[in-house]
Amino acid sequence: MPLLRLENITKDYAGDGEPVRALNAVSLDVEAGEFVALMGKSGCGKSTLLNLAGAMDFPTSGRVLLDGEDTSSLGDAGLTRLRREKVGFVFQSFQLLNTLTVLENVALPLLLSGRRDAGAALEKLRLVGLEDYGARYPHQLSGGQMQRAGIARALVHEPRLLLADEPTGNLDTATGEAVLEVLSRVAKERGAAILMATHSLESAAITDRVVRMRDGRIEGIDRH
Amino acid sequence: MIPRLRVFHQLVLRPMLREPARTALTVFAVALGVGVVLAIDLAGTAAAGSFHSSMDALAGDADLEVTATGGVPDRVAGILATLPYDLDVRPRIEDFATVVASGRTVPLIGVDLLKGGLDRKYGSLTVADQFQSHDRKGVVWIAAGMGAKKGDRIALVVGERVGEYTVAGMLDGDAILMDIATASRDLGRGDRIDTILVKTPAQPGAEEWARRLQSALPPGVEVRPQGSRTSENRRMLAAFRWNLRVLSYIALVVGAFLIYNTISVSVVRRRPEIGITRALGASRAGVLLVFLAEAAVFGAAGAVAGIALGRAMAVGSVRLISSTVESLYVSSQPAAIEITGASVLLAFTIALVVTVLAALSPALEASRVSPVEAMSRGQREYVAQVHKGRDLMIAAILGAAAALAWHGPPIEGKPIFGYAAAVLLIGCSAFAIPALVSGLSIVSSRLLRALLGVEALLASRSLAASLRRTSVLVGALSTAIAMMTAVGIMVGSFRETVLIWMDNQLKADLYLRPGGRTSADRHPTLDPGLPAQIAALSGVVAVDPFRAYETSYQGLPATFGSGNISVALRFGRARFLSGRNAEDVLPELRGQDAAIVSEPFANKHRVRRGDRIVLPLGDRKVAFRVADVYYDYANERGYVIVDRATMLKYLPDPAASNVAVYLRPGASANTVRGEIERIAAGRKILILSNSNLKADAIKVFDRTFAITYALEAVAVVVAVMGIAGALLALVIDRRREFGLLRFLGASTAQIRKLILVEAGLLGLLANVAGLALGLVLSLLLVFVINKQSFGWTIQFHWPVAVLAGALTVVYAATVLAGLYPARIATRLNPIEVVHEE
Ligand SMILES: Nc1ncnc2c1ncn2[C@@H]1O[C@H](COP(=O)(O)OP(=O)(O)O)[C@@H](O)[C@H]1O
Ligand SMILES: [Mg+2]
Repeated sequence: MPLLRLENITKDYAGDGEPVRALNAVSLDVEAGEFVALMGKSGCGKSTLLNLAGAMDFPTSGRVLLDGEDTSSLGDAGLTRLRREKVGFVFQSFQLLNTLTVLENVALPLLLSGRRDAGAALEKLRLVGLEDYGARYPHQLSGGQMQRAGIARALVHEPRLLLADEPTGNLDTATGEAVLEVLSRVAKERGAAILMATHSLESAAITDRVVRMRDGRIEGIDRH
Repeated sequence: MIPRLRVFHQLVLRPMLREPARTALTVFAVALGVGVVLAIDLAGTAAAGSFHSSMDALAGDADLEVTATGGVPDRVAGILATLPYDLDVRPRIEDFATVVASGRTVPLIGVDLLKGGLDRKYGSLTVADQFQSHDRKGVVWIAAGMGAKKGDRIALVVGERVGEYTVAGMLDGDAILMDIATASRDLGRGDRIDTILVKTPAQPGAEEWARRLQSALPPGVEVRPQGSRTSENRRMLAAFRWNLRVLSYIALVVGAFLIYNTISVSVVRRRPEIGITRALGASRAGVLLVFLAEAAVFGAAGAVAGIALGRAMAVGSVRLISSTVESLYVSSQPAAIEITGASVLLAFTIALVVTVLAALSPALEASRVSPVEAMSRGQREYVAQVHKGRDLMIAAILGAAAALAWHGPPIEGKPIFGYAAAVLLIGCSAFAIPALVSGLSIVSSRLLRALLGVEALLASRSLAASLRRTSVLVGALSTAIAMMTAVGIMVGSFRETVLIWMDNQLKADLYLRPGGRTSADRHPTLDPGLPAQIAALSGVVAVDPFRAYETSYQGLPATFGSGNISVALRFGRARFLSGRNAEDVLPELRGQDAAIVSEPFANKHRVRRGDRIVLPLGDRKVAFRVADVYYDYANERGYVIVDRATMLKYLPDPAASNVAVYLRPGASANTVRGEIERIAAGRKILILSNSNLKADAIKVFDRTFAITYALEAVAVVVAVMGIAGALLALVIDRRREFGLLRFLGASTAQIRKLILVEAGLLGLLANVAGLALGLVLSLLLVFVINKQSFGWTIQFHWPVAVLAGALTVVYAATVLAGLYPARIATRLNPIEVVHEE
């Protein structure tokens, strides 16, 4: 059983007139520890796929199996539990809370799930090279540092699946590469799989597999 | 240059319509504020403002009124009639009668029907009606709606007795008219009448006529322009109305905080749009105007709703206000509630002034947004700069000014400086609140996190981060809480003081007074023989007949009364301002032209122990030495009390207005009551036990202050609605954060808890600040404002139970105000709100 299995899923959004089909008959497996890139133009359905994989939304048809659990069979509480245990999100625009320090931001997923483990947050900061920045506030960091904090936060509760939606989209090329390097290294270290949406070829280069998408369908898969 | 209307539409109307719940809350808050002010104005005008003493009924078009304490000797009418002037002299008896069938009490007017001169002032009554079919004795003219028509018999309580009268005709106006001879006989008036109205020739003017007539009459008889009594009463009521009006503005002040908050939120949210319109050529003034117009829209909508609300609330409050007026001041008849052009104008003026003023500062801030700055991307949080240090300085200055105003004297009996001090204190606390909020949130965030978990951490951080928004909300709610606390403490202290005073003052076992309606200015009398008959009962050790007359001193109404000093010395426990004992003070009254005066009288007229006061009594003017000032809470008119023998020297009528009966130890109150009832059979008298009397008094007290409580409650409701509206805005502004938290593993329950904790923190801060401010304000109310406007000494008491209850309710309401916004927050779709471009 793979870590993540998408079985023939479609996703429709209710539009003004006809529903918009964001995903169309998509099937995909992601194995534990694997680094997979989702490539495709804007609007091809990458974010939609990530949200389904992260138990944030349900498919219109088909099944999403996360570590063997069918998300459609779960209620709100079940989805929340699944996210708390299995999934970490990394966002394009970092999404750090300005009112919290960097350390508190990183610790947030633990705090929300009722765990108190100050050591884990500090350890993840060290992992991404920000151990000296824990007491700062997000606006005192550079973009690359913010995204590294975002990665630390996504990993703090030891999830088995990292979902990264264009994590380098708001960074310049050099910084973006450095961040990607961190992402891939720490995920490997912790044994977490990564599903990353991107539209840059360079980003895709360091991954194990590249899933090419177009208009809500999987166009092809390239292995490195 | 873009047309302003379009900018207005884009920046103001559209966003308003997009959030109908919040817009409605804001409008409703303004409407409540306006409504309360309008209601108090309308009800106050109906109950006291367009004050007509009941005695103005059927007064007609006279020019002068002739009065005397204890009644005008009826020979005065004769003197006037023989003067060589062309005068129309109309003696009157003025009292009340109760219609037995309905229990309704209406003014009873006795006029000289023999003299003729009945003109339009008696309504549809015509001269022909008078004698054609009836003997003038035993007939009355009544108004429609009293349950009888011409020719019917009607049972009326007149004085102490029930009589049957024949209805001779109908009147306009709510009164009963009878011949003066009949009235005098049935009311047991003897040789005195209440007033003589005089119509004079137009030349040489009322003043001169008053002087001429005065010189022909005994000195104790006063000739004044007609309506003087009414205007004296009106003057007496002015302070009362003024205080009520000030209280009614509290809800509006709270509303102003909320408008400020609403407009600030608008400005911060629309910074990018403001920048764009500026870049497209809108001027600074244009942007300023647009946001002031937004406030004006809220104001106008609030005014319209407020007028409807105000009218409805006025109907509810007019009864309360008029019963207060009756028990503390003077008998009056509430007029109908009328929405006039002036009240509509008032509603719009206060609504627009308050909303536009409250919006001025955020609108100015909007006009300073530069085109470049605001177009920078990203959602800007509500983190307008707050200068904590500077604000604390301002708070200190306002506090110092308040301390100065605290000691200012009253101006025309109004505690203007006292209220200024209150306003300054509210300002002081408003400016100190940012420091309080940030201080407390630092302290609390650790503690709360330990107690309530991560939601508390997020909540306290976000409150501290949007310091200005938080401060305004805490300011609004704490002001409302402070007012509630202050008034609660004041009224609670007052009540406790009155209870203690009654225990000291009311020592008799039974109290007798004529039945029927009572009010502060009416002193109907009992049968003169009654006290002696009661004193002869075996269970009775002493009776103290108390007699009261209406009089006026220095242009204000007052009550002149007498009691039996010996009895008071034996049983009473009156307390004096000088601290002396009754045993030292009361003997000074015996056989002397000496009086004790009540504290409100002393305050109103700046009279002290040892001063001399001159009162018109009967046909003389008599000077009394003030032996001391005594504590009194019975009414606000003020008393001058002398020994019974002294009073009888000047006003020989022996009848008592009420009688205190002291029982022999061991005698049964019920037995004695039964005996008294037998003695007084056939008369309408009321026998109250000591505890009945106290309970009645405290009931009057509570009714009097019911309206104050209602006003405070409205202010709190406005504040809580403001919190709900503000939390709603906060949910909308922070939806990205809530969405993110869901991504990071937050459950919907946690999101709800986060918002409720935030509401709870706001409530807590407001309660702390409000309680502190309220305590200071209560001291101001008790020792300055109350003292200056009513002249009562109130002992400070903590009404712990009432306060704890009220604060708990407010706190619960604040947290509940978070429920709806919390629901909205949990229903947000996290994917949609976490925008990823
Ligand atoms: N909440 C939504 N409502 C309606 N349509 C949506 C919604 N989210 C995404 N879409 C549509 O679904 C399609 C796929 O979007 P998305 O998954 O965001 O693409 P990508 O991330 O690859 O740019 C697009 O056509 C987009 O307009
Ligand atoms: Mg996308």
